[in-house]
Amino acid sequence: MTDDHSSTQSEAGPGRPDATAGTGIDTTVPHSARIWNYWLGGKDNYAVDREAGDQYREIFPGIAVVARTSRGFLTRAVRYLAGEAGIRQFLDIGTGLPTADNTHEVAQRVAPESKIVYVDNDPLVLAHARALLASSPEGATEYLDADIRNPAGILDAAAGLLDFKQPVALMLMGIMGHFTDDEAYPIVSRLLAGLPSGSYFALYDGANTNEAFNEAQEGYNASGAVPYYLRSPEQFRRYFEGLELVEPGVVPVPHWRPDPDAAPVEIYSYCGVGRKP
Amino acid sequence: MSADRRDGARSGEIPGPTVPRMLLGIQLHRMREAAGITPDQAGYEIRASRSKISRMENGQVRFKERDVTDLLTLYGVTDEKTVAGLVALARQANAPGWWSKYGDVMADWFEGYLGLETAASVIRTFELQFVHGLFQTEDYARAVTLLGHTAAPAEEIDRRVSLRLKRQDLLNGPSPPQVWSVLDEGALRRPVGGRAVMLAQLKRLIEVAGLRHVTIQVVPFDRGGHAAAGGSFTILRFGEPDVPDVVYIEQLTSALYLDKYEDVDHYMEVMNHLSTEALTPMQSARFLADMIRET
Repeated sequence: MTDDHSSTQSEAGPGRPDATAGTGIDTTVPHSARIWNYWLGGKDNYAVDREAGDQYREIFPGIAVVARTSRGFLTRAVRYLAGEAGIRQFLDIGTGLPTADNTHEVAQRVAPESKIVYVDNDPLVLAHARALLASSPEGATEYLDADIRNPAGILDAAAGLLDFKQPVALMLMGIMGHFTDDEAYPIVSRLLAGLPSGSYFALYDGANTNEAFNEAQEGYNASGAVPYYLRSPEQFRRYFEGLELVEPGVVPVPHWRPDPDAAPVEIYSYCGVGRKP
Repeated sequence: MSADRRDGARSGEIPGPTVPRMLLGIQLHRMREAAGITPDQAGYEIRASRSKISRMENGQVRFKERDVTDLLTLYGVTDEKTVAGLVALARQANAPGWWSKYGDVMADWFEGYLGLETAASVIRTFELQFVHGLFQTEDYARAVTLLGHTAAPAEEIDRRVSLRLKRQDLLNGPSPPQVWSVLDEGALRRPVGGRAVMLAQLKRLIEVAGLRHVTIQVVPFDRGGHAAAGGSFTILRFGEPDVPDVVYIEQLTSALYLDKYEDVDHYMEVMNHLSTEALTPMQSARFLADMIRET
């Protein structure tokens, strides 16, 4: 949901024969990064996204909670990784449109020298990231235009900034839902295989444990937008096979090392952080 | 933000510190609706018309502190902190900006823009003709000013240039906005003020592009034809979640401010096309360096 893989299903609207016009931005169909931005209360969205976002929210009002709590997990996970785990290199694939508390901001608040490689293949996301996600002077950020379906290519390109002899935190936040099991698990395995021992892996995605969420997502997937599959807690655990799970393990997003003052919320997404032995 | 606010057109002049007024207006509107009070009733309370209430809620007029407290009482808002916060906002909305002493050389409509620019968290600009005012060197600013005021006495030109340079303090302040500027190659090739002035201006651009909160992207001549259909424009974004983006378009004798969804969406779309078609910030820095080498 944070990432739109191609925005290529551009059925040009009437009178808009060339909606993408070579830039890959299509404003005639809803765009997942922009809808996500809308649910997060951002301003980088168009009428078509707000309509689709409202429609979705009518069926599943919890989506705003999903957006907010997922973002909260990213913040807590990065804070943990840069803090307790001592990680200084981050590979964040499926960046999404910049919002508050982006990965490098959280990491560099803890450790200003942190290096972050953001990866996305959406031109709109990349333009925003390049313009607005500037690094601290001590650290570095880089933006790769790459498709996660080519994990080897991402690892090669990220090696320009990241030292793969040192631990790296791989972050797949709300992106693997865009892939079927047959695609998703091999992608994660291939990415993890390229990281040295002591590296970390953090992931969250939507779970299929809520009726309304399932219904809204089915409707969305049938609309011609890039589909997103909700998964079971069991399927989430599979991502972390072979890794040492950081406490409290694979859990609902609000339960992963919550802030002390966190109010209880409904559970719609699962997450985990694992360490490569 | 409720639909009727966004439907109300607001184009034209917005004098003074705009964002505090917009914020205050939005909150008064929300509180009035929550209390189930009509604009007529609210107007009666402060001995004003319903249209005055509507102008207040749209952030178009100055606020009297007394009016604000009277309205809050009517709306049943008694929380001391909330009341104090809104009264402070009213005071801020009425305070003159740093630019007030340049009234002699500044059109009213431009004053409104400075209020917005100062309050913005992100400023996105597309420049077709000139380098953006926030990045101009003194000599370049003087050359641009002379183009527009051929008959003005030297003293007035100095005042105008000094206003423009003072504006740039924004970039060096404690919490500067993100300035994301997309420049057409034409704005770089046109030798405003002559070759030497332009060369220094190009160097300045490379310098500011190195600032963490500044992004410069060049649209070379061979790209971006379709998106650049219009002229130069600016989109201002504010940190407050309830305040909409504002599109600012400067004309020769006035300016246009747009904040309706359908307008802002359209300009945002064009700006996004331009930003994706333009060279990346890194490529743009190389482009500028190459231009300097060729000059």
